Amino acid sequence: MNPSSLKSRFTTRFLRALTKINAHKPISSSSPGPGEIFQRYRRIKVAADKSMAYSVRSRRTWSRATLWRLRTRSPRSRLATHARRSWVKTRSTRAASHGKEKKEDGGTVEAEELRELVPGGEAMDLCNLLDETAHYIKCLTTQLDILDRQECTSREL
Amino acid sequence: MEKDEAFMAEVLNRTAAPRQPSWNTGGLNSATEQVGNWFLNPNWDNSMDQSDPFESALSSMVSSPAAASNVPVSGENVMMRELIGKLGNICNSGDASCYSTPLNSPPRLNLSMVSLPNQTTLAPFSADPGFADRAARLSCFSTGGNFGGLNDPLMDSFKLSPMAGNSGSDKKNTGVSRSSSPENAESGVSKEESSVSQQIPSRNDAGTRKRKSIPRGKAKETPSPAAADDKVASENDESNSKRSKRDGAPAGNGNAKAANDGDEKQSKENSKLPEPPKDYIHVRARRGQATDSHSLAERVRREKISERMKFLQDLVPGCNKVIGKAVMLDEIINYVQSLQRQVEFLSMKLATVNPRMDVNMEALLSKDMFQSRGLLPQGIYSMDSSAQAFPFGYQPQQGQPLNNVIPNITETQFSMKTQGFQLPLINGFTDANPQVGSVWEDDLQSIVQMGFGQNQPQSYQGSITTGQVKIEL
Repeated sequence: MNPSSLKSRFTTRFLRALTKINAHKPISSSSPGPGEIFQRYRRIKVAADKSMAYSVRSRRTWSRATLWRLRTRSPRSRLATHARRSWVKTRSTRAASHGKEKKEDGGTVEAEELRELVPGGEAMDLCNLLDETAHYIKCLTTQLDILDRQECTSREL
Repeated sequence: MEKDEAFMAEVLNRTAAPRQPSWNTGGLNSATEQVGNWFLNPNWDNSMDQSDPFESALSSMVSSPAAASNVPVSGENVMMRELIGKLGNICNSGDASCYSTPLNSPPRLNLSMVSLPNQTTLAPFSADPGFADRAARLSCFSTGGNFGGLNDPLMDSFKLSPMAGNSGSDKKNTGVSRSSSPENAESGVSKEESSVSQQIPSRNDAGTRKRKSIPRGKAKETPSPAAADDKVASENDESNSKRSKRDGAPAGNGNAKAANDGDEKQSKENSKLPEPPKDYIHVRARRGQATDSHSLAERVRREKISERMKFLQDLVPGCNKVIGKAVMLDEIINYVQSLQRQVEFLSMKLATVNPRMDVNMEALLSKDMFQSRGLLPQGIYSMDSSAQAFPFGYQPQQGQPLNNVIPNITETQFSMKTQGFQLPLINGFTDANPQVGSVWEDDLQSIVQMGFGQNQPQSYQGSITTGQVKIEL
């Protein structure tokens, strides 16, 4: 396996985060309450997304957007979200004007949906959006693969 | 005939040397020699000195009706021009490796072969692509020659043929400069050469730039192939796409100006010509389409988008049958949504399955460890992650002593068990694949029995734990 591939990078980071999460929460022998599980779930999900975004660094718009989102989620939420929204607005207006003449060309309804799905997709024209989507799909599948294996290994024991 | 031949030789000699550096001159000298031989070919039949038999010969040779219709009866010069234009097609056919230009066909080759100066039929000429290529290349040289004063059809053909010299070489200068003065011709040619230095050979209709009157060597033929970069391409394209007949443009001064005039003429000429191929790699204004820079940019953009859609089609499973942007986008959206949901679901599973933290990287990264990946896409496509059935696989303590045993387990068994245990979890959430669930029920049963049967302390295998898990549940 390629030591510096996306998969290995993601796996390293994710395992590290997972260890940390599990170390934090004491493994309750009794069935944990749904709240606990949910909290862990949130943490793990964040860890997965974060590790994937970090593995991609800033090379991709969606990873940058994900990192931004994760960074500015709770602490400086108001300021950060405001800043982000204004940035997104400027970018999106620019992108919109760029593709305004071709409103029907890119299937804008679906394009809008895709923009919502792919992080950071709001401010991209269709061409780049498709690019980002392709890379995002590839990373998502890698993420799923590792998560799946992790889950299986841990479950089997 | 002798005069023509001498002229040819002179042209060849003159054009071969100065033009050499700018061309793919690998076979240039040989090409010039060969073309020279071609022109001096005693096989030339000089019997054709009327347009009608010429035309009939042409029409007989040309298979495509469009091409045949393109042979006007107006005058031999025009005919010659068009035939020479077909000669350019030969070049394209000769270099089929580089470009797919559907209009290149042997009949055209014959046609242009016939269209030699002085209406001489070249019956013995076979559709030799290489030969045509060389001929076209040589004809491109004519731009550098001092053709200003020549008014005979030979000159005309030479002047026209450079446009047809669209061989595979990227450095071909297909522009023909028809300046009245040699200097203009050479400067125009040099300009065109530089501008097309990186251009891909142009389409067939590049050679179809006809001019109405031969004596007027004023209008400059615009470089036909597209430039490497879009700017040059758009500029050239604008001029090329207009394709006007060269009407003796008053000024052969600037390339652009003359090009525009030439383009206008060419566009009229092109109406007679067969449909030029549109599947070119380079950016080029296609026939019948807008040629302003906006449209060109739009076209480039659309091509990029379609290219990316194709790539996405490979990524997203099950998109091969779908054609169409909107449906494809829908599929992509669904797929991305399902992937995201799967991530959430798996992270939820991980949250409840209290993991063994000492699972090593190799175990995770080994490719053939688990085959369960294939199940999820179908089953979880519309699933909502929930934490209801999680205690299902929750076995914290018993997992501990088995840390070292995992590598010993045969992978097939392991994968089977993992798959078996995954499925009930999935089915607990969705009713998507009931049939898949039934398949796995048997595996679960077998696993349970294995767990029962192997309930021995020394054989610590995953099956024991799973069997116990099943029992407890």
